[in-house]
Amino acid sequence: VIDPARVAASVRALPTPSAAVARLHALARDPRSSAADLDATIRPDPALTANLLKLANSAHFGLRHRVGTAREAIALLGVRRVCEVATSAAFAPLIPDRLPGYDVDARAFWGHCVAVAVLAERVALAGDRGARRGAPDLLFTAGLLHDLGKLAVAAFVAEGAGAILGRVRSGGPFAAAEREVLGVDHGEVGALVAEAWALPPPVAWAARWHHAPAAAPEEARPLCALVHVADALAHSLGLGADAGELARAIDPEAARLAGASVRTLERVASESLDAIGEMTRALGAGGGIG
Amino acid sequence: VNLVTVDIGDYRVSAEPGDVIVTYALGSCIAVMLHDPVRRAAGMIHYMLPLSETSPEKAKARPAMFADTGVPLLFHAMYALGCRKEDLVVKVAGGGALYDDGGLFNIGKRNYTILRKMFWKTNVLVAAEDVGGARSRTVRLHVATGRCTVASQGEETPL
Repeated sequence: VIDPARVAASVRALPTPSAAVARLHALARDPRSSAADLDATIRPDPALTANLLKLANSAHFGLRHRVGTAREAIALLGVRRVCEVATSAAFAPLIPDRLPGYDVDARAFWGHCVAVAVLAERVALAGDRGARRGAPDLLFTAGLLHDLGKLAVAAFVAEGAGAILGRVRSGGPFAAAEREVLGVDHGEVGALVAEAWALPPPVAWAARWHHAPAAAPEEARPLCALVHVADALAHSLGLGADAGELARAIDPEAARLAGASVRTLERVASESLDAIGEMTRALGAGGGIG
Repeated sequence: VNLVTVDIGDYRVSAEPGDVIVTYALGSCIAVMLHDPVRRAAGMIHYMLPLSETSPEKAKARPAMFADTGVPLLFHAMYALGCRKEDLVVKVAGGGALYDDGGLFNIGKRNYTILRKMFWKTNVLVAAEDVGGARSRTVRLHVATGRCTVASQGEETPL
């Protein structure tokens, strides 16, 4: 079991996203803020702006024309959407070349993040029911960042790899094995990271409960259920395979809450694969990913 | 050795003796591997879902995404290289599953069932297979020899 003080120190030692991100989320919550405020927050950070534009032009966001400036992105995507894209753009460069313990490289990890964000939104919006209900606030961001705890906990997972993989091989979920061996899992640590980075509550919710959506408080449960299902679907399709492979348990109640049927999942999977690949590749060398 | 990578929802064939065909992280997807020891050619598909009726539009653009539209394409690509059906050695890997009592994520099982049905109807025998379980698999197929390996949970074994 890892001393919680070591975990906290590891969270503090992580590189932090551009300060613009927390400021953008504060602006998005403030009804008095304008597109100009958002633009003034993004523009001074050229690395953030570059990645933001690469992602904003991905097919998933559905822009009819390519945008070349943050201002255009805000005008066409809206304030809330640009906050989501900017958070993703700021997160990508923080992913290390390899995550020890999880045995995954930056490109595969980023691909998994993108897959979960895209799949969660598309499952949420699938069918007439989804169109009526809409997606929970910040679902894309929460899906993209659901595994951010792995950045802080990877070194401890590597230390305990023998015991963790032993439990996984004898038939248990990876996250449960983390908890048994380390005393914490990447979800719990992810919530700490989200708070340390001053990200909005849905990010911490999805991180904390994506493996146990039933334990989430009521207001967080629909979002956590969708991320749970999207995470499972992404792993099922081999998008972001890591040391945990397929060792994860599905909560049937969460699947029901997410409105996911076999048919819906298969259709969403087939229709999302190209968009996921394109968005994953949008941040290639120079974007901070491998 | 030259690696020929098969992406998810795609297939590749080769008659170059130096080629090794590889696909990564099969999950619930399935790889069908064909080797012809006479013609010394090999092919592999990495399909994702059982039936093209799930998304007919996608099936047109990417037929190898689905078992029913993709697997026949792989066989025909081998015939185009001069292979005969009776010489083909067929191996199958993947079709993994999560711990899912509700059966929502039984894509792997469905992928496997439809393949067995297709093979039964067309008289294709499977020489070896490694399917199911909470495992993800990376498979390699050597064109010259037909040697096939499955890597999973940190171990690589011949199939």
